[in-house]
Amino acid sequence: MAIATETVGPGRAPLTPATIRNDRRKGDRVFRGFARGTGYATLVLLFLIGLFLFIEGWPAIHVAGWHFFTTSGFQTIGKTKHFGVEASLYGTVVVALVALAVGTPVAIATALFLTEYAPRRLRPFMIAVVDLAAAIPSVIYGLWAIYELQPNVVGISGWMSRHLSWIPIFKVATPQVNASLFIAGLVVGIMIVPIIASVTREVFSLTPPGEKEGALALGATRSAMIRRVVLPFGRGGMISAVMLGMGRALGETIAVVIILSESFFISPHILQSGGTTVAQLIAVHFGQGGRLGTQALLFAGLVLFAVTLAINLAASAIVSRSRSGAGVDL
Amino acid sequence: MTLTATNDRNTVSDVQPTPGTGAAGLVAREVCAWFSGRLVLEGVTLAMPRSTVTALIGPSGCGKSTFLRILNRMHELVPGAQLAGSVELDGTDIYAGRLRATDTRRNIGMVFQKPNPFPAMSIYDNVLSGLKFSRISVSDRDALVEVSLTKAGLWNEVKNRMRELGGALSGGQQQRLCIARALAVEPRVLLMDEPCSALDPTSTARIEQTIADIADEVTVVIVTHNMQQAQRVSDVCAFFLAAENEPGRIIEAGPTDVIFGSPTDERTSDYVHGRFG
Amino acid sequence: MTTLAPTSSSTAAPPLPPTPRRIGAPLRPRDFGWADAGILAASLLSSFLLVWVVFYQVTLLSGIFGFLLCWYAAFLALYWVVTTQVVDRQAATDRTATVVVVTGAFLVLGIVAFIVGWVTWKGVGHLHTNLFVKDMSHFVPADRNVLHQIGVLHAIVGTVEQVGIAAAIGVPVAVTTAVFLNEVGGRGTRIVRTVVTAMSGLPSIVAGVFVYSILVETSVSRYSGFLASLALFILILPSVTRTTEEVLRIVPGGLREASLALGASEFRTVWSVVLPTARSGMITASLLGIAIAVGETAPLIFTSFGNNNMNVNPFHGAQAALPLVLYDFVRQPQGALIDLAYATAFILLALVLILFVLARVLGRQRSTSGALRARLRSVLRPSARSGGSENPSPVGGRAGRPPLEILTVSPNPKEPLLP
Ligand SMILES: Nc1ncnc2c1ncn2[C@@H]1O[C@H](COP(=O)(O)OP(=O)(O)OP(=O)(O)O)[C@@H](O)[C@H]1O
Ligand SMILES: [Mg+2]
Repeated sequence: MAIATETVGPGRAPLTPATIRNDRRKGDRVFRGFARGTGYATLVLLFLIGLFLFIEGWPAIHVAGWHFFTTSGFQTIGKTKHFGVEASLYGTVVVALVALAVGTPVAIATALFLTEYAPRRLRPFMIAVVDLAAAIPSVIYGLWAIYELQPNVVGISGWMSRHLSWIPIFKVATPQVNASLFIAGLVVGIMIVPIIASVTREVFSLTPPGEKEGALALGATRSAMIRRVVLPFGRGGMISAVMLGMGRALGETIAVVIILSESFFISPHILQSGGTTVAQLIAVHFGQGGRLGTQALLFAGLVLFAVTLAINLAASAIVSRSRSGAGVDL
Repeated sequence: MTLTATNDRNTVSDVQPTPGTGAAGLVAREVCAWFSGRLVLEGVTLAMPRSTVTALIGPSGCGKSTFLRILNRMHELVPGAQLAGSVELDGTDIYAGRLRATDTRRNIGMVFQKPNPFPAMSIYDNVLSGLKFSRISVSDRDALVEVSLTKAGLWNEVKNRMRELGGALSGGQQQRLCIARALAVEPRVLLMDEPCSALDPTSTARIEQTIADIADEVTVVIVTHNMQQAQRVSDVCAFFLAAENEPGRIIEAGPTDVIFGSPTDERTSDYVHGRFG
Repeated sequence: MTTLAPTSSSTAAPPLPPTPRRIGAPLRPRDFGWADAGILAASLLSSFLLVWVVFYQVTLLSGIFGFLLCWYAAFLALYWVVTTQVVDRQAATDRTATVVVVTGAFLVLGIVAFIVGWVTWKGVGHLHTNLFVKDMSHFVPADRNVLHQIGVLHAIVGTVEQVGIAAAIGVPVAVTTAVFLNEVGGRGTRIVRTVVTAMSGLPSIVAGVFVYSILVETSVSRYSGFLASLALFILILPSVTRTTEEVLRIVPGGLREASLALGASEFRTVWSVVLPTARSGMITASLLGIAIAVGETAPLIFTSFGNNNMNVNPFHGAQAALPLVLYDFVRQPQGALIDLAYATAFILLALVLILFVLARVLGRQRSTSGALRARLRSVLRPSARSGGSENPSPVGGRAGRPPLEILTVSPNPKEPLLP
């Protein structure tokens, strides 16, 4: 039937493969179908997130039009409606950039230490500690930041604002330097270190030992070997790790809310008090501003969703295309 | 996988095949095999008579393992694998749709080159795993475990440590546990792919003894690279060979003493006397 | 190079003990002797003094953070300059780079230790039995004696229920998805894997507003713990799926074959062989996912909302949760509330830590064969892959990564080949 035995004459091999009947039991077909359905459900889930945020948030765009992206504020009740995410988007980007500037070097140093320098016995412990850093709740980071980090940082913030004010971003218009985008970015930077570090560490650990030995055999010092072999090999992975960290930084909410004092004023002076991010806008104004307010916040959520999704997808595309990333899952 | 479902399954799957008991003969006719479109085995016809031990010999890469896996439908699990020809278990073509793949495999057991007891199960559960998978209930599990382990020559060594994990045994013991596990479902044919290649001479001798002991109840097909072993354990011998860039074929098959004593083909004689391969 | 016979040096130096020399112990390179340690210490000290004078005496700054930063920069510069006097430039750069890398890593360790220690130190002092037996129904913010009247039992109950339900839904779904990705395969695996990866970067606040947008608007009871569970489920799902898939990947293919060769169905093979073999890894993955869910605050604002009273029913009405309560305390920093915040933070952190440690311990235990355990460990702690000591065998596993043998040559080029 399925195998064409009839066509087989003696001595004449059938050179076309037969079709094997798929005779899985019913249970197996149910099992496969169920597992596949569950897998596809995650696709549906992601789609639904975008869809619902869009449907529920759209009325706000209907009111505000594209000014939603060029307005700053949250005035949704009363005659004059004035709401939008311009300052929030700006603040989100600033916080993320500061976070990356702070977090990336530390994370890469940590990853290098864990792969190239750490004594073998210490390594598992140190990795566990770095992983633990990723598990500490952001509200605890926030608590720590406002009581321990900020008081120690305002000094250097003030100093920079006084002595480096010829660099525009370090200028301040008001003397207050606490609760700033800079400090919020600093906290978020600390929070994204474990994320960037774990991906880069994974990538670094895949460096072909032959290449490393080759460099060392040529008399390179360890740091020269890292610069010539490990870092170039891991470049794609590092880029996507940084993007992944950026995705996290863009979406960080609680620590930012705790640190940052809200202000819808767009200012290039990141050291000065006040600012806002999209996530903060949503968290702080939730429940205020009536129905239109809720819709505006849901649309802001959609914006955040779209931006982070795009960044994450780009990150995984970069890592899977790079030489080092072939075996790495983000 | 390249397997495509045909929609006649309901008409045949309800037919519950009634496999007999005791050793059964296997006949492969004009078996061909492909991996991703590459022909690796061509026109293999071989009879493996009931209650005999058949040895498959030949140089590396000539398709012995592939052939063995075709005999119990393991071949089709490899992505991109295809095949043609037929394999008959006591006259029933196992590819013709009367037997399910799972039923086929229960009737035609397999022991692999590398011992692979289930690491999360105890020795006891390992022996009974096949029954559990097929949801066969037995009245006296303990007796079955003892009988299977005794047949595999392992009972005395493990009778006091039934609850230990299967991975806690030595390599040779693990392999005998795998044999016991395969025997516990009372297969009619047992396929063994280089079962001794990872073992020391003592363990090898024990497994050869096991093969001799079980040959009455179960037809054995064994792949081996060890000429002495083939001579010692087998009644029938088939010599496979693949010329360069060509699929594997059977060069010569027949009673073991003939293959080793007076082979008709020069290549067989060269191979069994260690002149190549 | 690593097998130098000690006999050749026996006349010049006392015979070496026959212990194997530690190779590639990075913190102890061979040529890093007392003199070098002296340089390090001297650089540290002099840069400290220099910066202290400039920082506190000349520029009149404040804040330990800025001081440390300046000290560090001065130290690096000084250290590099001094080492170039002793060794050549390349070696000096190498040592300075080592210092940078080591400080970067220890900075992270230090911050984690700081946060955990600080929360513990601040929190333990304010722990009070009331915290575990009372809720906040008698909460009067202005009251100075607030500590003796309220507790966070309602929040503990809420967190346990919300996270419990999220895990009860999330873990089975995640495992099934991982089974689809690794065991069933076929069409759609690529896109599902991509989407799961992308979802693991989903901001937690988005999960919260999403659940709000679909359910809170329509449902009768606007807020409930169950809605929080749904949001947490969205956050747990991708991470547990990915780790579980990694763990399934290292289950040797031979076990699946052995099971199928015994006549087992695919479901039986997965259920009775693959999943039990991967069990400890899956437990670790799940516990880590749960540990992170316990601390999530942002999604709860939109779903369980928070409640000063005890609400044990997760399906009806607003419910408190530990991170939410803590978030409220932090935002209203009045005297006694800060103490409550510290105590709550300690409870929350302790919960996370317990889950975290449990995940590690269970991941190490009672698995399977030695080789499998080594591979499991290397997946759960990926950098162990680079350690040659646990060299996993390349059995099974589709995308089994090649184990890396870390350098077995001495990385120090200055070391003489012969004594
Ligand atoms: N999974 C696979 N995918 C592609 N080609 C395969 C696969 N398995 C085997 N082959 C090819 O099929 C041919 C036969 O392989 P097979 O394993 O049957 O040889 P063998 O006779 O068992 O060799 P050995 O004695 O080394 O075990 C070889 O050319 C091999 O490269
Ligand atoms: Mg073989």
